[in-house]
Amino acid sequence: MEKFSSEYFRKLAQDLKFDLSPQEIEALKQDFVEVQKQMEQFDAIDTEGVEPMVYPFETPTVFLREDTEADVISQQDALSNSAKVSMGHVHVPKVVK
Amino acid sequence: MKAKYSVQNSYDRLRALQPDLNAVVTFVEEPVCENAEGPLAGVPIVLKDNINTKGLRTTASSRILDNYIPVYDATIVKKLKEAGAVIMAKASMDELGMGGTNRNAYTGPVHNPYDLSRISGGSSGGSAVVVAANAVPLAIGTDTGDSVRKPAAYCGVVGMKPTYGRISRYGIIPYASSLDHVGFFTRNIEDAALALEVLAGRDDHDMTSSFLPAEPYSKQLNGSLEGKKIGIFKTINDAVDNPAMHESFDKLVAGLKEAGAIVDEVEMPVELLDLIAPVYKTISNAEATANHSNLDGIRFGMREDGDSVEEVMTNSRTAGFSSYVRARFVIGSYSLFEENQDHLFRKAQKIRRLLVNSYASLFDNHDVIISFAAPTVAPLIEQSSDIRFGKDRFEEEHMQLDNFSGYPSLTMPLGLDQGLPFGLSVSAKPFQEQVLLDTALGMEKIIDWKGAIE
Repeated sequence: MEKFSSEYFRKLAQDLKFDLSPQEIEALKQDFVEVQKQMEQFDAIDTEGVEPMVYPFETPTVFLREDTEADVISQQDALSNSAKVSMGHVHVPKVVK
Repeated sequence: MKAKYSVQNSYDRLRALQPDLNAVVTFVEEPVCENAEGPLAGVPIVLKDNINTKGLRTTASSRILDNYIPVYDATIVKKLKEAGAVIMAKASMDELGMGGTNRNAYTGPVHNPYDLSRISGGSSGGSAVVVAANAVPLAIGTDTGDSVRKPAAYCGVVGMKPTYGRISRYGIIPYASSLDHVGFFTRNIEDAALALEVLAGRDDHDMTSSFLPAEPYSKQLNGSLEGKKIGIFKTINDAVDNPAMHESFDKLVAGLKEAGAIVDEVEMPVELLDLIAPVYKTISNAEATANHSNLDGIRFGMREDGDSVEEVMTNSRTAGFSSYVRARFVIGSYSLFEENQDHLFRKAQKIRRLLVNSYASLFDNHDVIISFAAPTVAPLIEQSSDIRFGKDRFEEEHMQLDNFSGYPSLTMPLGLDQGLPFGLSVSAKPFQEQVLLDTALGMEKIIDWKGAIE
């Protein structure tokens, strides 16, 4: 598959679980001209020996909590936002047919 | 805050302004005060619509969450309720926080109260305009890449985001986790100090929350500028060519010197500043793609039918996200491909460190760094756009340095140009919120802002 072809973007969108219209794909082709330029801009910067900055601070803020029940919600709450519920479960189309 | 606003007047004003401003997504039917003795007892407030509120619709201005009713409160919502604040409404935003205009909201654009044909700025546009229009004295927003501070500058109010980790983000619909901050809008620095006092503090539910104790910021507030070391960010200001803005800035600098502050200029290499926007977009799009993979219409949110689980997800996400957001996900996902990571996502993270190292050095001999918040007043709605992945101007995007670094930062009104507000950006070292607020209070007195909507 040719890189940045319509089919390429359709496949990318499919992996992300949405569709793109032909117009949206054309707009993305323009965006990716800029993405390529930007990659060249990045490549021109010497980052030899520089560690990626993943978060602003490296001070530890995490801890291991006790292995006890916390922040429990009821089954009713857990299901309250699902569009389809059946017999106490989120209902989806059959997976194994 | 407490003395000036009644819940009923505030509610009536919000309702009356809605046809013009389009700031609110959901009104609270019966606003209540849960603590009449708290520091914010009876203060009417508005929350950005990406903050989870138990039993109250929270859409993040996206169609995919149009029917979502949280079953829990975000930590900051609990804190605000315990302080006695009265939640009036949920405010419009750019969809899922992605944008700087508030044009990209499911309920349509938010309008600037100074000129309804202009943008509010975004992504926290709804929160900005309800404070600017004097409907509430406090509104909460979030700031991933200046999303509180830029709209505050466009709308003539104070917009603050403290240090990364200072306010809990638990219960807030994320955008880009390494850049997301909670922030807020007020009409003066004193109220900002009180708001921070209520909101700040460690939260075990947020793994990025700092263990450093929060301070009684409002009680310690001291506007003395004597001996304060203030750096003017010359590289940014030189790129701004509006004479009215420069006149106000120069007047402020003269006042600072008169008040005993030590003022000089600081610079950063333009070649580095030109990398702010591409680094921001690469990191934020990539993190957003991952964060929003849970929005699929299955367990919550708007579901579109399909013959298989995959088809339900695809149909729900296609109908649920705007074209603009889906494009950002594509770009974000591309930068995370194994073959592209070293050239895009990882590379952006490395350049982020270079940018932060350079920015941090500006603070070596300064308490705060100041500059124009934005190079212009709020653009007209039809002339504004969220450039998806093109060339940007660093003077437009420079406040993203505070998101990369996590440094505390605020914008405050500096003046009016042809009746439209423009703002001042003030930033300080990490966890130096008291210094930031103290200096801003001193500057507020010098600026003596008369442009507020009453």
